[in-house]
Amino acid sequence: MSLLTIEGLLRRFGGVAAVDDVSFELREGEILGLIGPNGSGKTTVLNMLSGFLPPHAGKVLMRGEDITGLPPDRLAQRGVLRMFQMTRVFARMSAFDNLLAAGMARGLSEAESGKRAQALVEELTLEPVQYLDAGQLSGGQRKLLEFGMCFIEPPLVAMLDEPFAAVHPVMREVMAQFIRSRHAQGFTFLLVSHDMPIIVDLCQRAVCMNAGRVIAAGDIHSVLKNHDVIEAYLGESQQGEGEPPSLEVHR
Amino acid sequence: MLALDLLANGLIYGCFYALMAVGLAMIFGVLKIVNFAHGEFFMIGAYTYVLVSLKLGVSPWIALPGAALAGALLGWLVERLLMRPLYAGYASWGFMKDEYAVVVTFGLSLLLINLVDKTVGPYSFRGEPLIDVSRFALGPVMLTGQKAIAAVVAVLLMVVLALFIKRSVWGKQIQAVAQNRLGASLAGIDATRTTSLIFVISGMLAALSGALLAPLVNPSPDIGAFPAVKSYVIVVLGGMGSMWGAMLAALILGVSEAFFSVYVSYDYRDAFGLIILVLVLLLRPQGLFGEKGRTV
Amino acid sequence: MKPTANLWQHRLRFDMRAALVICGLIALVPLFVTGPYALGIILVSVYFAILALAWNLLAGYTGQFSLAPAAFAMIGGYTTALLDFYWKVPLALGIPAAVVVAALFGLFLGKLVLNLSGPYLSLTTLAFAEIARVVIGNSHEFTRGDQGMHVATLMQSRVGYYYVFLAALVAVLVFLYWLLKGRLGRFMMAVRDDPVGAESRGIDVVRTKMIAFCVSCAICGLAGSLYGTFSQLVSPELGLLQQTGLVLSMVVIGGTSSLSGAILGAILVYLGSEWLRGFGDIQIIVFALLVILFARYVPGGLWGLIAARLQGRKP
Repeated sequence: MSLLTIEGLLRRFGGVAAVDDVSFELREGEILGLIGPNGSGKTTVLNMLSGFLPPHAGKVLMRGEDITGLPPDRLAQRGVLRMFQMTRVFARMSAFDNLLAAGMARGLSEAESGKRAQALVEELTLEPVQYLDAGQLSGGQRKLLEFGMCFIEPPLVAMLDEPFAAVHPVMREVMAQFIRSRHAQGFTFLLVSHDMPIIVDLCQRAVCMNAGRVIAAGDIHSVLKNHDVIEAYLGESQQGEGEPPSLEVHR
Repeated sequence: MLALDLLANGLIYGCFYALMAVGLAMIFGVLKIVNFAHGEFFMIGAYTYVLVSLKLGVSPWIALPGAALAGALLGWLVERLLMRPLYAGYASWGFMKDEYAVVVTFGLSLLLINLVDKTVGPYSFRGEPLIDVSRFALGPVMLTGQKAIAAVVAVLLMVVLALFIKRSVWGKQIQAVAQNRLGASLAGIDATRTTSLIFVISGMLAALSGALLAPLVNPSPDIGAFPAVKSYVIVVLGGMGSMWGAMLAALILGVSEAFFSVYVSYDYRDAFGLIILVLVLLLRPQGLFGEKGRTV
Repeated sequence: MKPTANLWQHRLRFDMRAALVICGLIALVPLFVTGPYALGIILVSVYFAILALAWNLLAGYTGQFSLAPAAFAMIGGYTTALLDFYWKVPLALGIPAAVVVAALFGLFLGKLVLNLSGPYLSLTTLAFAEIARVVIGNSHEFTRGDQGMHVATLMQSRVGYYYVFLAALVAVLVFLYWLLKGRLGRFMMAVRDDPVGAESRGIDVVRTKMIAFCVSCAICGLAGSLYGTFSQLVSPELGLLQQTGLVLSMVVIGGTSSLSGAILGAILVYLGSEWLRGFGDIQIIVFALLVILFARYVPGGLWGLIAARLQGRKP
């Protein structure tokens, strides 16, 4: 069942179309990968989906309801949440208060937020630092805190922007585990990442962009075997060399 | 003809404003902060000029570099003692960068004004003019010798500055650091030293601006206030961080202020610049020549 | 060390208790100090304490570094004065009117700077403050310009006025505590720490900022109006940038983002400056220096140090 329907998104910067007629679908309960080489427009699409950039044309529908161009806070109230590439926490509040703030921002009472925050702190193994100012947490702990802030009230869609960039492998696995567990509970994710192993690991379907357009969409494995996708990443034709290469890295 | 006279005077004052404002633009271009003590560099320059030329009895043409030196020194000290924390990576702040800059430079401004007020006090003597010609006519326009010569000096200084920035090694480093601090330091440029240089230049130019205008007004500890406000207007008009924008905006402000004060209201002429500031910030925050940016 | 001491609700509660203690001490002062001059000094410091609380709400808690608090005190004072002068409006209405007018101007300013941050914001508020001051100072026919205007007074008794100001301080304190301990307090701090992150999590940043501006400026207006009735004079000097500088110093030295810090800073700085007057008028120099030193080396202010010690946690 379609959760988000994106139709014909267009966004220009100056005279250049950074996002050109992008359409795809985010199905309920899936983890969708949004991939593509640098500069392909993924982040711009994400910015438009999360309300930070108004599209010049196109529509975004959530379960049929038009949410195009809504500002970020209203989208968040409706359950469309976004995590940034650069970790964003409220540095001068305690980690626990960060969770409280996130919960209350989504409409929970302080008491209810407190209960859920306690549970999240345990799950994310943040107990030892929960009362420290968030600015004093390590990078990895902050990322986990962000996850907690995102999930303190179940989002309809969680859009993650390069969450694994510059994160060391152990933390990467903890985060991946968090995503898997939430996914098992039925949550929907949109994942923008360069990290191919993780994309293959977590995503069922993918949309690949290049130069502002969608060049492939569908099941993750077939997308990664897609000729255009490979060309976009490698920048040159691999035809006529026997077994076509795949972007899948076998662990 | 009145209009021509206003135009000439406006342009001349514009040159002084430009000299004053360009340093502020440089600081913003590199550090993205506003130096609220900028007016006090002007004041220090004026005082140094007057005191040196009167107390030491030297020629005003020597007092001028003396003022420049005082400004340079002050700029260096400010950077070294107060501004370093902004980029030397101090972590657990009670302030964010912007707040710190506002508070510290505001405090510095108060400190300098009152320090000078208590030690020297308002001076009833104007500085010696650079040229002993009081009034002469240049075409249809009446000028004083000091104004004319000061304007010429100001223009020369800005030409020198422009060449320095464009051609010299240090100038190129300044451009690099202004565009991308991290990138520049990765490329081997000492960003801290470059920032120090920028403060030195900024202080020097503002002080010179004060020295050039010293023969025209009696120095008092708060004479820096108005030039400072005008500098803020100019830097915003020109696009925060754009030196060339600042120079052009300075001329525009000088001329429009001259016309405003005569044709609209003399009393509110100082509010004029402020209203321009508010309007520009509202309608076109990137100024006339700056670049728009919202990063997410 | 109690680890939960850093939790917002605990910090705020501790802060509020301390602030009430300070107010209690202020209430007891007239038992020991009877000279009208000395009382007057403490009274004025309470005036500044109210301004400091107001500015701290806007800048310390919400991160909007306005340079206009003194201007709003001036606007409040002139509202009461003008209503009294032209329409003989009694103070019972004139003072609340000052609050309302200041709140409206505060909303206007907030709207003006909505999309600005950092130096842009500070500069715009500075421009607003200066424009207000120049306009009031130059409207000779309307406001008597630099000479100032006479204002009616609530009472002749200085001790009485002392307690009026103290009552206002406590009222403002209680109101701010109520405001801060709810969702709004956390939202304000979220906006301070990361407006983009706050917005992306569902916080209405616009509404939060506007409320902060409205409340902060309204409180400044109240203080200015009361002060005007006390000194029976309002003049553009109320709105001088120097006054804003003083308020800034008080909060920086006392401690941003704390109620007690603002009050403590105001009283110490103002009393200190009066004390220093005896040494030859060097008070601003000293405090400017202190501001710089504190901003550089003691970002939490005096309250930060004290609270940390008392609560057994790191400052």
